[in-house]
Amino acid sequence: MAPLFENAFEFLFKYRPVVFENGRFVFNAPWPVFLLLGIGLVLLLPPLVGYLRVRGKLSKLDTAVLTGLRATAIGVVVLCLLHPMLIVATVVPQENYLGILIDDSRSMQIVDDEQARSEFIYEQFGPEGSDLVTQLSDRFKLRFFSFAESVERIASSDELSFTGSLTKLGHALDRARAELSTVPLAGLVVFTDGADNSGASLTESMLQLRSRGVPVHTVGIGRETFDRDIEITRVEAPRAVLEGSAVVVDVMIAHSGYSGETVQLNVEDGGRIVSSQDVELPREGEIATVQVHFEVTDPGPRLFRFHILPEPDELVEENNQREVLVLVRDRREKILYFEGEPRFEVKFLRRAVADDDNLQVVILQRTAENKFARYDVEHQDELAGGFPTTREELFQYRALILGSVEASFFTHDQLQMIAEFVGQRGGGLLVLGGRNALAEGGYAGTPIDNVLPVVLQAPTDNDTARFFAELDVELTPFGQSHPVTQIAASPAASAERWAELPAISTVNPIFEVKPGASTLLTGSGDGIEDAVVLAFQRFGKGRVVAFPVQDSWIWQMHADIPLEDMTHETFWRQLLRWLISSVPDQVMASIPKDRVGVEERTTITTEVTDSAFLKVNDADVTAYVTMPSGEERAFAMEWTVEEDGEYQVDFVPEENGLYEIRVAADRDGESVGVTTTYFQAAEPVEEYFGAQMRSSLLRRVADETGGRFYTPETVATLPEDVRYTESGSTVYEEKDLWDMPIVFFLVVGLVATEWGFRRYRGLV
Amino acid sequence: MKLRQRPAILLLIGATGMGASVWGFSTEYGSAGGQQPVLNGTQLEARDSKRGREFYFTRAMYSGYGRRYASWSVDFPKADVQFLFGVRRLTNIDAYEFENPVRLDDPNLRRFPFLYALEVGRMALSPAEIQGLRSYLLAGGFLVIDDFWDMDQWQNFEYEISQVLPEYRIVDIPMDHPLLSAFYEIDEILQVPNRSLAAAGGRTWECWTRCDPVLRGIFDEHNRLMVVINWNTDLGDAWEWVEQPWYPWKYSNFAYKLGVNMIVYGMSH
Repeated sequence: MAPLFENAFEFLFKYRPVVFENGRFVFNAPWPVFLLLGIGLVLLLPPLVGYLRVRGKLSKLDTAVLTGLRATAIGVVVLCLLHPMLIVATVVPQENYLGILIDDSRSMQIVDDEQARSEFIYEQFGPEGSDLVTQLSDRFKLRFFSFAESVERIASSDELSFTGSLTKLGHALDRARAELSTVPLAGLVVFTDGADNSGASLTESMLQLRSRGVPVHTVGIGRETFDRDIEITRVEAPRAVLEGSAVVVDVMIAHSGYSGETVQLNVEDGGRIVSSQDVELPREGEIATVQVHFEVTDPGPRLFRFHILPEPDELVEENNQREVLVLVRDRREKILYFEGEPRFEVKFLRRAVADDDNLQVVILQRTAENKFARYDVEHQDELAGGFPTTREELFQYRALILGSVEASFFTHDQLQMIAEFVGQRGGGLLVLGGRNALAEGGYAGTPIDNVLPVVLQAPTDNDTARFFAELDVELTPFGQSHPVTQIAASPAASAERWAELPAISTVNPIFEVKPGASTLLTGSGDGIEDAVVLAFQRFGKGRVVAFPVQDSWIWQMHADIPLEDMTHETFWRQLLRWLISSVPDQVMASIPKDRVGVEERTTITTEVTDSAFLKVNDADVTAYVTMPSGEERAFAMEWTVEEDGEYQVDFVPEENGLYEIRVAADRDGESVGVTTTYFQAAEPVEEYFGAQMRSSLLRRVADETGGRFYTPETVATLPEDVRYTESGSTVYEEKDLWDMPIVFFLVVGLVATEWGFRRYRGLV
Repeated sequence: MKLRQRPAILLLIGATGMGASVWGFSTEYGSAGGQQPVLNGTQLEARDSKRGREFYFTRAMYSGYGRRYASWSVDFPKADVQFLFGVRRLTNIDAYEFENPVRLDDPNLRRFPFLYALEVGRMALSPAEIQGLRSYLLAGGFLVIDDFWDMDQWQNFEYEISQVLPEYRIVDIPMDHPLLSAFYEIDEILQVPNRSLAAAGGRTWECWTRCDPVLRGIFDEHNRLMVVINWNTDLGDAWEWVEQPWYPWKYSNFAYKLGVNMIVYGMSH
């Protein structure tokens, strides 16, 4: 609340707003109420009779106005005679404790308001003392805490260093409340910039405080916006990709004071710039979302650094860069392609991925009724019985491609199993077009229909009229930035290339995608507009792609395609790589953040499933952590009980550098699986991001706990305000309201208005 | 999971398939071509619904020095159509039922990744045809050569194909090559005689002296088969006269088997 308003309020209403907020309104009339009401009526009678007698000069409206003004003035006087007052609880001096929490994190060193935020703390709590501390000490026993990544009791400001690498506000409130739980606590006062970066929700902490009636008063230090600053607020990158994949990373850039200016965003991999692009910063308050495209070429854990060169007058330079750890895998991923008839798609898809060491497309092709051919199988027994009939057999693949094979070929269990392959196992499903695919293959209403991103129309294929259209393909706006459709060096070049490609054909008319699905390519031609050519959606844990065309090989064979052109190969490789990019293994390990601080506790979580991808709770799971120094330590992981198949162990890094976590799961003496993940232990940098004073968060904390929000300008009233609380040892004070200046002004104003009106109407 | 197909299936083709069709002569391709099918209304409709099929038995129209007629069109189109009838019955390939001749210098050639050419002993390719066939093969097209005999015709073909693919060599296709098990298991290369020799029932070769059938090919640098060469044999005649009781089923059976294998292989490798 603005100080001017508060002062004006106090002048008119005698007390500060906080008294009204905390007080209970009562009447304490020394005389019976009916007596006072009678006196009021008696006082009102003479002027009423007088006004009614004046005929001719006054209209009925004039009479009503004059009578009303007089009645209101008399009513206010009668109200005052009823002796209105506020009953408000106030603390008993020196019988209550007040917790003072001071933010000791690094962001308090930011100089954004002519002085460092920490200077304000020193001014208030330094050895010279301050009015604030004096007034608080007069009323309360004070207990001081410093907080950043941890919470400490402190005796003086000398113990503050403002070097904490994290701000954990919720944790600080919890600890202070717990430490002061045995004493009469009048409230907590938090001096902070509110730049909480713990990632934890404050809701639980606030609920605890509210249920115990402990108000939290917050003092927001710093500015809510910086004058001149550029910040990479977020980088959205995949955690793991296959070697040689094209990666699309979303980078969010916020700024203040640089509208319309162009900056250069660079991406480095081990000091080598892999991408560089100019970014024009948007209007003030808007965030620029930039898509960065590059190819990952070297296997292993790669630390990609996204950075913008600091401008000369920037307030915080450290927030111009962010690092992302991406695991580049060099392994061969198996994909099953089941084709219901000999088709050239098989030949050209095999050729497209032949040189890709990371993709193994195993093909099962029906060449005649009950006759199958197998290509690129790993061993003689693979798919020897035809299409898989068990989860174990199907779920060994990371993706399934369904060609022109009718739904009736499968048993219902197989159709259901394919749906579960996507939803439960998290596998990728790619459905191609063809005379026996999609609606024309009788898939409407089957379990596979449920997982498809497209709406199947009534089948059009019959003996007399067979749907066929040649389609010129067009990128959708979403497709322009999607990794699957990047077939040239840049998004712009890709869009150009798509426009040049020859038409491909479809026998499956599809024009609608399901809610939540995304369309990357559409096609028009032969009187058809905007047919769906490439669309996908997430279903359960997996991805499903519909590509209802029958001859993508035209992009390889057509006479307009130069022999050296790699569009067909690039498209298929990227499509398949993307399809399997988030498919889980039987054993999956993760940590909450890929960058943690030394001595910062982190939790390794592993999900273990069997070969049918059913959760396993009785596995022996061990995490082998290799430190940057090369030392390896083994940690037994325990089943969490709350979640099936989930195992956890806590780990505290002791040195900076890259940590490898290899998790091995065994069951009944046999290996279930092994997985490897990485994280980086380094100085946390969160304090430099989102470091503006967050008044909205601090207001919320205050409002939801019954406290108030202050700034350095308004904090002088804090000692008085915190007196009014029901928390701790309190007494009730009575505050008279009849003598508020507003009452006097109101009565005088009403009488003066009545007199003025009479004069205006010629009665005076 | 391959099933061995019984030879009786091939007899069925002859008995119930094109045996029901009527063949006559047409001038659609000029002096080229032999017997044309006389089609009824439904067949004409099917012939017109050409677009959107998966497979077209595409015959290469090439320049040559045939005296009476263009050598590319020997057995055309009856052999093509009869063979397609068998392909459609024996496999589940979505094959267009009729012939599909395309010039080698036609850019549309690259829309048909399977190509059949015969009588290449009389082939004399123009520069445009050389370029068209070369780009076709290097882009991923698959060429089957049939019905040329003896050394002089071999030399002519070898010269022509060396113009098209000078950097690749012609080599023997071994009997354990996947081509020979792509659909049927083939363990012997038979010499398929032309109709006259088959009807006579004597020798099967058209060479001056006895010659053996040879299966050769041209592989790309990834060891993928681009060209299959059937030398000293005449698969086309076996397809063309399969419905005739005097044509020995032994040869038509083999010709269909090898033909189907070449198509299935060409569509998957």
